Amino acid sequence: MSQENDRLLGHADEADGIDEYDNPLPDWWVGLFWLTIVWAIGYSLHYHVIANRSQERALANEMAAAEARWPAEEAATRMSAAELDVTDDAISRGRTLYGQYCVACHGVDQEGGIGPSFLDTEWIHGGQADDILRTIVEGVPAKGMVPWEGVLSPTQINDVAAFVISRHSEATGRPIADIVGEGADPPP
Amino acid sequence: MERVATGTGAGVSETTVYDDQIVKMFFTATTVWALVGMLVGVIIALQLAWWPANLGLPWTTFGRLRPLHTNAVIFAFAGNVCFTGIYHSTQRLLKTRMYSDRLSRVHFWGWQSIIVAAAITLPLGMTQSKEYAELIWPIDVAITLVWVAFGVNFFGTLARRKVKHLYVAIWFYMSFVITIAVLHIVNSLVIPATLFRSYPIYAGLTDALVQWWYGHNAVGFFLTTPFLGLMYYYLPRAAQRPVYSYRLSIVHFWGLVFLYIWAGPHHLLYSALPDWAQTVGMVFSIMLLAPSWGGMLNGLLTLRGAWDRVRTDPILKFMVVAVSFYGMSTFEGPMMSIRAVNSLAHYTNWVIGHVHSGALGWVGMISFGMMYWMIQDIWKRKLAHPSWATHHFWLATIGIVLYTVAMWAAGLMEGLQWRALNDAGRLAHPIFLDITTRLEPFLWLRLLGGTLYLIGAIMMAVNFWQTIRGPERPADAAAVPAAA
Ligand code: HEM
Ligand code: HEM
Repeated sequence: MSQENDRLLGHADEADGIDEYDNPLPDWWVGLFWLTIVWAIGYSLHYHVIANRSQERALANEMAAAEARWPAEEAATRMSAAELDVTDDAISRGRTLYGQYCVACHGVDQEGGIGPSFLDTEWIHGGQADDILRTIVEGVPAKGMVPWEGVLSPTQINDVAAFVISRHSEATGRPIADIVGEGADPPP
Repeated sequence: MERVATGTGAGVSETTVYDDQIVKMFFTATTVWALVGMLVGVIIALQLAWWPANLGLPWTTFGRLRPLHTNAVIFAFAGNVCFTGIYHSTQRLLKTRMYSDRLSRVHFWGWQSIIVAAAITLPLGMTQSKEYAELIWPIDVAITLVWVAFGVNFFGTLARRKVKHLYVAIWFYMSFVITIAVLHIVNSLVIPATLFRSYPIYAGLTDALVQWWYGHNAVGFFLTTPFLGLMYYYLPRAAQRPVYSYRLSIVHFWGLVFLYIWAGPHHLLYSALPDWAQTVGMVFSIMLLAPSWGGMLNGLLTLRGAWDRVRTDPILKFMVVAVSFYGMSTFEGPMMSIRAVNSLAHYTNWVIGHVHSGALGWVGMISFGMMYWMIQDIWKRKLAHPSWATHHFWLATIGIVLYTVAMWAAGLMEGLQWRALNDAGRLAHPIFLDITTRLEPFLWLRLLGGTLYLIGAIMMAVNFWQTIRGPERPADAAAVPAAA
């Protein structure tokens, strides 16, 4: 065990009056230093050689565990345009939901912002009711839009879709029936 | 008012006149930039809590003021603190005047012009968009030239020293001068396109790695080693006690400079950086714990036998709290470098809390302690309001605690909510914005903490002003602890 001796080194006149003791390194400090060094070597060997871990494998394991626990269901809640309810009631419920969930990105008047506008004739992910529903359900995670399935109930998804479609129709003059109708391409 | 010292060491017979004018110049600049930098900090803290404070003008938005804050506090405040302390203590430790008065002035005016250039270009949106290295290439060139002037001046002084033994503070200063030059030049290599625009010579991952090699060592060699050097000079002077252990100071110095350089990749965990490089960053950060604590221990143990004075002397109070926060943030840092911990902390306000426990706690408090001590030494006057120093100490300490506690709480909350899954395996908080709005109370609390800290700094500046401008209050000879 090293002991404090409080012996002065006698440097004071060479260091503007500051002297230094010749005390040894505190034992626990030396121990801590060695511990971190040994740990560093051990961890590196374990991670890269013994357990052979990697970022990719960690992700794969996590995904496999998630898959085991929550097997991907067949898209049960998939809705089709045929069942879409675009009544005034649905639209007005949709307006409220829009104000809660969508307004931050798509703007108070649906004019766009972080996300695109609904008032022009351009649809990045398709402008038929089916496409709009799919975009809402699945989101566009790559660009930051949340998949709303699971956050919103199927009825709520119906309602925001109805609201978006009605606003688009109002702004562009494209009839709702045309948007909801199967297959027809939007007029240029 | 120049100080005359008669060498007492072996072989020193002539009389040395120190250049204290340059110390006073840097001291004044430090005080001014401290207020500016912290005021901008308070403004951006307000903007985060209350968005209308962005004022809707491009020049005043958070995105432009944030780099103004970081540049002002790091390069203007902390930089000038280091220069003040280095010009003051180096002359005394080496028993010689600075090598060249002209280079000292080139350094001073060059550095202040760089800061002014930064304060103009950053709000105008001119940036290289590398954190802590935002300044555009003409300013980078100026920094290099000024730094070379400083380096020549410093090492010239070293060459003319009249002592044999190099005190440990000088070692820390040397690491500062050399490493910052290398870091700055390597990270700022660009190909200029126009006067205001340039393209980095690195691309993609290499760019990221060089950037964080720089970024981390800016912490290590701008906010840590020079301040440890200052601690090694001003703490024993203020406490009038010998340094606890010479051996510890040497071992922890070499430990720090060797290990810091490798730790940068802890800023790039879970990125595209190869796994082995991430591991290097992580394990070197863990090994940094003991060398960092070596500095804290040597500081605290130097106070053995002076603890009764800590109770009454605000200067020692500042220093004790500074060294304690240094120990705390250098414990927190290695923990945050662990992959699993970083996956929770990264991108959250926890990092902001960590930054400011180091910045406000360590850098700020050791600087205040040093300045309260030094003003009485170089202006030869007692403080105009000794009790204000104690008030400043308490305001600052409470401010830091509010700041860091608010950010820890906010950071943990964000981090946990971002990753939480519900029973169905979906995100429990799918709407990012909801989590962000829950931060609001913590952001207000941080604003309060920062404001208290700023008020303390304003009191310090007024105190200094009245000390220097007011009537003469000759300080006692030799040691000058402030009476509280
Ligand atoms: C009155 C005191 C201060 C206040 C209110 C304050 C406030 C802030 C705020 C609001 C941010 C932005 C945080 C974010 O983006 O979420 C910030 C960033 C930062 N501040 Fe301060 N600050 C203060 C003092 C200081 C000091 C004295 C230093 C350094 C010596 C400092 C260094 C930094 C750094 C390095 C960052 C960037 C952190 C990062 O990117 O992770 N601050 N500060
Ligand atoms: C042994 C000492 C330290 C280690 C290992 C360490 C480690 C870390 C880690 C892991 C991060 C988070 C990176 C991220 O997830 O983005 C970080 C951020 C940061 N630390 Fe430390 N830290 C240490 C000491 C300090 C001290 C003493 C200060 C200030 C004086 C400081 C200033 C900063 C700053 C400014 C950042 C933010 C960088 C950014 O802009 O993202 N650190 N540090």
